[in-house]
Amino acid sequence: MHTLSRLMGWLVLALAFSTPVTAQTQQQAPAVDPIKQQQQRGVDQPGNNAPVWRDVRSGAPNYTSTQGREAGVLIQPQARFPGQDAMTTAGEAWRKFRNGPITFYGGWLVVLVGAIMAAIYFAMGPIRLHDKPSGRTIERFTLAERWAHWVMAISFCVLAVSGLILLFGKHVLLPVIGYTLFAWLSALAKNLHNFVAPLFIASLLVFIVMYVKDNLPEKGDLSWLLNGWKMFKGEHLPSGRFNAGEKAWFWGGVVVLCLVISVSGVMLLFPNIAAFELRATFQQASVVHAIASVLVIAAGIGHIYMGTVGVEGAYGNMRDGVTDETWAKEHHQYWYDDVKSGKVAAKAGAAPQAQR
Amino acid sequence: MARMKFLCDAERCIECNGCVTACKNENEVPWGVNRRRVVTINDGVIGAEKSISVACMHCSDAPCMAVCPVDCFYKTADGVVLHDKDLCIGCGYCFYACPFGAPQFPQAGAFGLRGKMDKCTFCAGGPEDDKSNAEFKKYGRNRLAEGKLPACAEMCSTKALLGGDGDVIADIYRERVARRGSKGAEAWGWGSAYGQPPKGAQGGVAPAAPAGGKS
Repeated sequence: MHTLSRLMGWLVLALAFSTPVTAQTQQQAPAVDPIKQQQQRGVDQPGNNAPVWRDVRSGAPNYTSTQGREAGVLIQPQARFPGQDAMTTAGEAWRKFRNGPITFYGGWLVVLVGAIMAAIYFAMGPIRLHDKPSGRTIERFTLAERWAHWVMAISFCVLAVSGLILLFGKHVLLPVIGYTLFAWLSALAKNLHNFVAPLFIASLLVFIVMYVKDNLPEKGDLSWLLNGWKMFKGEHLPSGRFNAGEKAWFWGGVVVLCLVISVSGVMLLFPNIAAFELRATFQQASVVHAIASVLVIAAGIGHIYMGTVGVEGAYGNMRDGVTDETWAKEHHQYWYDDVKSGKVAAKAGAAPQAQR
Repeated sequence: MARMKFLCDAERCIECNGCVTACKNENEVPWGVNRRRVVTINDGVIGAEKSISVACMHCSDAPCMAVCPVDCFYKTADGVVLHDKDLCIGCGYCFYACPFGAPQFPQAGAFGLRGKMDKCTFCAGGPEDDKSNAEFKKYGRNRLAEGKLPACAEMCSTKALLGGDGDVIADIYRERVARRGSKGAEAWGWGSAYGQPPKGAQGGVAPAAPAGGKS
């Protein structure tokens, strides 16, 4: 879980720096009225329009009879995204940042995490139960909790795949399937992305409210964070209903990253809302959206691995809502103890609600 | 092969919007879309008012082309940046990337849903057969295929807007600058759109880019 917390640190840094420096902050406040200066220059040096072009380059809107978004801006103001050594027009800076670091590092991060998961699976195999299943079951997730999880999970996957197509498809899919099919697929991806997003946001909020109680920090989380990796060797540390790794995923991935993605995504979703309509807003929102999305997809691959093939029984728990007592004891001992002693209300001995 | 460029002479532009009208008429541009616009700086201030007509500048290293997720842009042998509306998904990224705000989107639905992007084609149509009906419907007239230059520049009443082979219009502009005897004149937008000319190159207007950025 070290890597996860480090990732979070990088994200905070990346978000803090991803707001580009704008030209205005670097310009000294002009001592003379710029319009007077332009008039004077026309008298002193007829035909020298330098003060006019300086004004134009600031990106301030001027008069135009044509209607349209930022129609009065002749050229976008100068900006610089992190890692860029020179100011360029904001659009060009955005293009370099998006097509450069975001596409390159983001793409390889997703590939790398997928490869690590595959390596863990083939080198160490899934984490299996040590004892035989007891045959007695405990309710682990209520029906409402499962609905919240799966609506969010499925919409997350649709958004992740469509988003990956829009960012990386040009480099990965287009050379394979050709322009016509890829354009059709991208149009589908764009519309799915736009229309599934509200469902994702709604289920995200419901999910957070439902799950926050059992994800609050508690005793044992710190030692789990330090030694939790030993589960791949078959040693389980005791934990409550959710272990510290799951809590890190809840707070870092679900709460922070997904809320950041939701807010930036809504800004990108409504281009005709006046408050969002400036190109600079879109550029910054899209950069934040892409960075947070790539990180949450990378972490999500880890979660999907652990929740399906990585841990025996984990997928069944979220599908059926009940778990075997042996599984509960081995994976979440404190929670198991609490259920057994009646401290938390869980229907012990509940029958599986769905048959395999 | 010619390298097609636009140049607007701010000393001559009188903000008549003839270019905008010519473009709309010639290409039967859809409602709500203007491929070209005239922007006036210090409107109404005597001695400081300047107007510029701007549309797609057909950049050498076009940002729109670079960010398009479906790679629908292409460049003709004349250096004209064109796009394929059959591929365009209306994501709007080209509009965020373009320095000049050239890409336009007809509204295709509620919540600002964008239709397929529309922009200046340098009157060079699109990927369909030259002068075909399909090409005209999607992109407007292909005047280059007819051996003509863009309608906006041809219709300009003061010849402020020049469109054509970059070497030729640069020569015209240089002669004007020499005759006017002005100092520090520059062709607006050339630094951003076409970059610096190679050293020792003939026939290009070296944009007098002041320190600190491109014009």
